[in-house]
Amino acid sequence: MMVQPRNLKYRVWTARIFMILFLCLIMFPFLMIISVSFRSGNFATGDLIPSNPSLEHWYLAFGIPWENADGSMTQPPFPVLLWLWNSIKVAFISTVLILLLSTTGAYAFARLRFRFKESMLTAMMILQMFPAVLALVAIYSLFDQIGSYVPWLGLDSLGSVTVAYLGGLALHIWLIKGYFETIDLSLEEAAAIDGATSWQAFRYVLLPLSTPILAVVFILAFITSIAEYPVASVLLQSMDNLTLAVGSRQYLNPQNYLWGDFAAAAVLSGLPISIIFLLCQRWIVGGLTSGGVKG
Amino acid sequence: MAEVKLVNVSKSYDQGKTWTLKNINLNIAEGEFIAFIGPSGCGKSTLLRMVCGLEDITEGELSIAGELINDWPPNERRVGMVFQSYALYPHMSVAENMAFGLKLAKADKSLINSRVEEAARILQLEALLERKPKAMSGGQRQRVAIGRSIVQQPRVFLFDEPLSNLDVALRVQMRQEIARLHNRLETTSIYVTHDQVEAMTLADHIVVLSPLALDAESNLEQVGKPLELYHHPANLFVAGFIGSPKMNFFDGFIEETGNNETRVKLTTGEILTANVDSQSANKGDRVVLGIRPEDALAETDNGNAVEGKVETLERLGAESYIYMSHDTIRENFIVRVEDSRKREVNSKMKIELPIQLCHLFNAEGKAFHRTQAPAYDL
Repeated sequence: MMVQPRNLKYRVWTARIFMILFLCLIMFPFLMIISVSFRSGNFATGDLIPSNPSLEHWYLAFGIPWENADGSMTQPPFPVLLWLWNSIKVAFISTVLILLLSTTGAYAFARLRFRFKESMLTAMMILQMFPAVLALVAIYSLFDQIGSYVPWLGLDSLGSVTVAYLGGLALHIWLIKGYFETIDLSLEEAAAIDGATSWQAFRYVLLPLSTPILAVVFILAFITSIAEYPVASVLLQSMDNLTLAVGSRQYLNPQNYLWGDFAAAAVLSGLPISIIFLLCQRWIVGGLTSGGVKG
Repeated sequence: MAEVKLVNVSKSYDQGKTWTLKNINLNIAEGEFIAFIGPSGCGKSTLLRMVCGLEDITEGELSIAGELINDWPPNERRVGMVFQSYALYPHMSVAENMAFGLKLAKADKSLINSRVEEAARILQLEALLERKPKAMSGGQRQRVAIGRSIVQQPRVFLFDEPLSNLDVALRVQMRQEIARLHNRLETTSIYVTHDQVEAMTLADHIVVLSPLALDAESNLEQVGKPLELYHHPANLFVAGFIGSPKMNFFDGFIEETGNNETRVKLTTGEILTANVDSQSANKGDRVVLGIRPEDALAETDNGNAVEGKVETLERLGAESYIYMSHDTIRENFIVRVEDSRKREVNSKMKIELPIQLCHLFNAEGKAFHRTQAPAYDL
């Protein structure tokens, strides 16, 4: 243990207090949402710990009718579980496709030589800087057209949203390319001499060593897809096809904010992200490539 | 096992504007151990990478076992390579590293196991088979890298400076292991190194390469057996490169040509005799006279001597190196003596150059044939 100056202790404590305060700041809205979801009635304000907790919003979120105190029944207003399922489907499929396309793309940019490589990389970066919102009208009419030939990719289909989400690929290509470039080329050369084709060297040497960045990209792409609102809100229309992010908007009518139901649905939408993160976390480890080459 | 043949092999990275390697012609016989040696930047590693297919061949022909393989990808050439950086697959155990190639070739499980076990036995890796590379020392990793190429039973072994990342003691040990391995397997081997001791001790033949001069025809300087290069360097470059410390070179002019004795006048006026055949030259031609530090004799004068000034002295116990200055010397003037007596710095000293041990090179750097060079077993 290194010898530390005495005033370091105070600095450590100051840092801790600052971080705890910062954490409270971040956690407060989240705790508020959880609190609202357990509060009876639809009120945004109130104590953090509800005075008369009730599960009514959670019943409704899971699609079960709720019997009020006066005996009347409240029917679930929206198919929340279906929306959640839609979100997961779209996010999962688009993320898997993004991962497939961006790893192979990144491999090409990191390892192969071809014309206009640098300009393509720069172009991808610059195009990525324009938010998808700017292209909403174009995206809408594009899928409108596609839909007349391929119905399952047309407007108001989950397929269209999935395909639209693949547009966020460039960032991931850059990320993975950067990681590939840290892996010593001689490993793949050794594989080639061992008799591996380029594909085998990629599949059996480069990819296994890249799992940390693949896990990161998977999580990032998944979160982006789950939370995406503008594109989905333009492409999806019918109640049964909405994703949870778009569906949640339905609770906030101008005259009638269904705060409680909204909160329950919002907490629910955080669930898949948390699960994916926990699953992927074990792949995010350092030191995978150590020992391979003399540094 | 196979012979390797290079015909006018050349390499350029910019479509022929500048060349890294030019007109390399080599015949490597079956079972031979050959070393590529040269200073950094001479293209020796590039040449090796061209043999295994990691670099393409700009011009010329490369054949292994009589087959022209210029355009074969590395995975079809059936050669084994040991990298300077080891290049082990960090996510695989030692056994998996060695079995990787055979698994790709869909070899029989029992065959893979027996080959891996045999390689492990030869290289004393049996106890380490389940380890990951990061849990091993440099020497062990290099042994795994060698094992990985053994199990494939390649037609040619390629070594790219395999020992330069190891410490000195380990390097000596691994050098002997590689020599033993070659005696046992008798596979054609090409060994790239910048360490002449490795080349001299391991190789049957040494190929000396130099950084390509702008107008040079080729950067292949000389091919020969180790002692042949030492006793009969073909030119100034090889003479200066083989041997440590470097050969001493004096600038002078031919005073008298001859078929056995050539008299050379240094620009200082000193006249020296060398046992070389200089009938192809004329009186007054510019020449360079060379003498190895271990061949020059300090503090004696049998008539064939120069006078220099002592600059520094390195006394190592069994031997000492006297660093001298002389008006006609190129680069260094070092004399090795087998004692550790103290010599006064700045004192004048006579150095005898034994007639039969002198080398002589013409203005282009080409060596005149030595007529009285000591006999040696090839």
